[in-house]
Parts: sequence; structure tokens; C-alpha cells
Amino acid sequence: MADFLSTYGSLIVSMILAAMLGLSLYLPLMSGQLSLAGAGFYALGGYIAAILSTKVFTTYSGDLYPVSYVLIEMIVAGIAAGALAVIVGILALRLRGVYLALATIAFVEILRVLSLNIDITGGAIGIFGVPQPFGTPIEYLWIALPMLLLSMLFVYRLERVRTGRALIAIREDELAAESIGINPTYHKVLAFMLSAILAGCVGALSAHVLNTWNARQGTFDAAIGHLAFVLVGGSRTFAGPVVGGLALTLLPEALRQLAGINGLPPWLAQFLREGRLILYGLLIVLGAINFPQGLITPAMFKHHRAAKDPTT
Amino acid sequence: MTDAPILSASPILSASSVTHAFGGLIAVDGVSISVQRGEIFGLIGPNGAGKTTLFNIMTGLIAPNRGKLFFEGRETTRLPPYRIAERGIGRTFQNIRLFGELSVLENVMTGRHTRTHSNVLSGVLGLPAARAEERATRQQAMQLIDRIGLTDRAHVRAGSLPYGDQRRLEIVRALALEPRLLLLDEPAAGMNTREKQALSDFIRQVRNQYHLTIVIIEHHMPLVMGLCDRIAVMNFGQLIAIGVPAAVQRNPAVIEAYLGSRKFVDR
Ligand SMILES: Nc1ncnc2c1ncn2[C@@H]1O[C@H](COP(=O)(O)OP(=O)(O)O)[C@@H](O)[C@H]1O
Ligand SMILES: [Mg+2]
Repeated sequence: MADFLSTYGSLIVSMILAAMLGLSLYLPLMSGQLSLAGAGFYALGGYIAAILSTKVFTTYSGDLYPVSYVLIEMIVAGIAAGALAVIVGILALRLRGVYLALATIAFVEILRVLSLNIDITGGAIGIFGVPQPFGTPIEYLWIALPMLLLSMLFVYRLERVRTGRALIAIREDELAAESIGINPTYHKVLAFMLSAILAGCVGALSAHVLNTWNARQGTFDAAIGHLAFVLVGGSRTFAGPVVGGLALTLLPEALRQLAGINGLPPWLAQFLREGRLILYGLLIVLGAINFPQGLITPAMFKHHRAAKDPTT
Repeated sequence: MTDAPILSASPILSASSVTHAFGGLIAVDGVSISVQRGEIFGLIGPNGAGKTTLFNIMTGLIAPNRGKLFFEGRETTRLPPYRIAERGIGRTFQNIRLFGELSVLENVMTGRHTRTHSNVLSGVLGLPAARAEERATRQQAMQLIDRIGLTDRAHVRAGSLPYGDQRRLEIVRALALEPRLLLLDEPAAGMNTREKQALSDFIRQVRNQYHLTIVIIEHHMPLVMGLCDRIAVMNFGQLIAIGVPAAVQRNPAVIEAYLGSRKFVDR
């Protein structure tokens, strides 16, 4: 067990971080908004943590960086991301559908180009030597796991209260929602802000996990990755993106392990190692064809209800 | 209980010279109407006459090119739809617009949005005030659902209900916001005669119980004639007649407008 945890510690932690990034994309989707801006807020959070921990919080006793400082960085990152999200949201959320998605990609690109060109983010090199609060990667679970459980609980509760119903009402029919007194802009910006806060916090923690932060974190590619979590896992229940994030982070690693099995024909081993992205893409396409709602659907949680009613 | 409307001097809703064009097509052309508090007001006219467009203007979904609207004496002309709903106008749509993935209960609870106040944090954290509000909302929604006989289907997806139930549910969702004015766009469409009669009784009941004012767009003449205190007739965007049912029925301009459609004369 200890062996397993030390070998796969980083992997397990990245799976959990990915699940949270999937959830972050799910929040605006609750109100029907496809936003890929999460990658940008994730990048912002990472830079905030990297800068604070290497340039501001530099005095502490002992070898390990204090966990409390990490938590403070996460709070600062969450607040900064949330505040920026309100501004970006008010500007961008008048766009709909694919136009909104494009605008949020532009936002991610603007942040990336900015980070490449200013000094405080270390330009193209980025920021190295982000200090470690733990001795081994697996210990990051002390922060990551409660964070995932709390954010899942948050979304679970949200879907069952007034504000969450308003978000889903907007997703289901914006005109009808407005006609019963729901302010769509307010609620879309709110969901966008919550999503950004989560992505910012995850970014801050990731900077420590990765030990370094640069402009390759939180790019357009990352945004598409987060979208894949939701597409594969499913977008109609929050369990979908969580499962999608866990599975799609595990998958490349599992393939790499498979390639290492003795006795595989060399071409197959090489394909498993280097053709990972092809397989990954293939799975997403096949998944989208066979499970258009994703792997996890609301119906999976509603057997009981459905059984009671013959017409559903 | 009496069926007589409680009429008062000041209109609850008034439109003055409201005009709206889609490109070259003038869908609503200089319409002025006043609806009195407490009445059931029928809005009729052939397809394409501009009735739905007038509803959309009254509820803020369309900003009119010209003209003004007043609700309870205050201007509502350029208000967004959610503000108009907050002021107390509820509506249904000609093509039913429910929240299909939400349950029957959730649809009606969502209808109470403007009458409830808990915010995202108090709701998610389940603070006592938010919990109490949620319980009350659920109870009030269940009472409304009971009125349309859907109690045992409260947890069913709204989108899976049969057509007639969806229409009734949409009315009840609008009632949940405790409107003082309710706009119904062809609520009896697709119903059989018996269902139409039941709906008509239901509309009269809620008007009396909640002291509502109702404007109803409807094609089925027996229903309109039996239910409405006054009727306005639109044709090609213009208001061509207004008055009590018997007078409107005899109005030559109205008969002319309906010639060929036969709806008005025959049924
Ligand atoms: N959004 C729209 N865009 C363009 N034309 C429209 C639109 N909505 C309605 N119209 C046109 O305006 C006219 C009035 O339509 P409507 O108000 O729906 O009539 P009614 O409800 O009386 O049947 C029709 O000719 C219709 O085609
Ligand atoms: Mg119409």
C-alpha cells in the first residue's frame, strides 16, 4: 500500500485536481453557458501562488513550506479569480453558445500572452522552485481531497436550492425563466464567478504540486482537456465531470503502464506509449457517439423515482 | 362566491398606441387598450393578428418601436422581462415553455423565485432561514400542484407529462409568482371540449380566489364568450373592436375579419 501510494501519489493527486477542474466547467453549464475560461483562472491562481510563495512568503521555520500559507494563497487566488470573473462575465456573457466559448478561449489566450510578456510571471521561463508543503506527493491529498468533497457537496446542495434551480431554469429555457422573474445576467455571472473561484483555488494548489508554473499551464489545450472531462463524463449531473476528470487523467497513465508489460509486440508497446493521444481522441469520439449524454446521466440516480412512474 | 368582476376606475394595465414591426411587417399597429382590475379580458383575432406579439411587448420580451405601457399606474415600457414579472405580471406561452428536465415540483418552486430571497450561500449552507423558506416554498408549490391534480406526479420530469398537464402546470408555475395580472396565450389549445370546460372553470376559480386580472388569448369561441367579461379583437395588427361579448359578436368588422375562418360563426 505504501509502495503504491508513493508510486502513484502524483497521479492520484492530479486526478483529484482534474475532477475539480471538470466541476469548475460544470458550474456555468448549469446555467447553459459553455465557458472555457476556467483554464485562464486556473493559470491565474497558479501564478498567484507561485509568486506569493517564492517572493512574498519567503520566511518560515523548518524545511517544509507551511500548509497555512498554501491555504492563504488559495484564498487570495480564489478572490482574484472571482473578481476578474465578474468583470469578464459581465462583458462576455451577453454572447451565447459557441460565441461565448470562443470569447472565453480568447480570454485564456490573452492571459497566456500577458504572462509570457511581463516580468513578475517569469516570462517564457516561468517560476521555478515553488516550495513544497509536504514531503511526498500523496500528502497533497490532505488538501485536495477535502477540497473536492466540499466542492461536490457545494454543487450537490446548489442544485437543490433556489439559486441552483434558477440556474437550471435558465439552461432549460431562458425566456421562460425571465418571464417568472429570474435575472439571467445576474445568475450567469454568479455561476461564472463560482466556477472561476474553484479554478483559481485549484491552480494555486497545482503550482505547489507541480513545483513550477509557466505559460504552458492553463492554455487552450488545457481548456479543451477540461471540456473533454465534461463531454466524456456527462454534463447533466455534477458526478459526470468528476468521473470524467478522474478517468481521463488516469487513462494516459494506464496506457503507459500497459505498454510496459513484458512480451507485448514492440509496435503495440510503441503505439500505447506514443499513440496515447490518438487513443484518447478515439475514446472521446466513440464515447460521444455511444453515450451522447456522457457516461454518467441523471437517470442513473433516479431509478427509484422512475420505477414509481410508468410514463417515464 | 360571485362571478361578477370587481371593476375599479383605474386600469391595471394600459397600452397606448403600441406599435411594433418585424422588418416590413407591422405586427402590432397603434394598439391602445385598458384592462380593468378584476376582469377576464379576452384577446381574439385570426392567426397572425399580432396577439402573441402584444403579449410579448406587455411582458418585456419585445421592446415596442413606439407607444407606452403602464402596469398599476407605473410605466413598464422598457423594463426587462424579469422586472415586469417582479412587478406582478405572470404569463404562459402559446408553445408551452416548461423547464423540461426539472420536476413538476421544481418547476412550480422556481415560479416562486421573486417571492423568495435566500441567496446562494445561505441556501447551500442550509442556514435556518433558507431552510424554512425552502420548506414553505415546497409546501406552497405542492398546494398549487394539488389544484391541478398532479400531486402524485410531483417528482416526475415536467417534460414527460402529457400535453394537457403541461399546459396546466405552466399556468400554475405562473400563479406561483403571485401575479396580479395573468396573461394566458391559448391555454386551451390542443384540449378536448371537456378539458376546455374544466380549464375555463379553473381560470374563473383562480381569478376569484386570488383576485386576479386575466387576459386570455383563445380561439375557441364558446370558451371565450362564456368566460370573458370583455373582449378585444385584433386583425392585421390593429384593434378592430372592443366590448362585452354579445356586442363584439354582432360587430360587422369582426364578422368580416372572421369570414372564411368560420371559427367565429360556426362554433
Ligand atoms: N419574432 C418574429 N419575427 C418576425 N416576424 C414575427 C415574429 N413574431 C411574430 N411575427 C409575425 O408577426 C405577425 C403577428 O404574429 P403573432 O403575434 O404571433 O400573431 P398571433 O399570436 O395573433 O397569431 C405574424 O405575421 C408573424 O408571422
Ligand atoms: Mg399567437
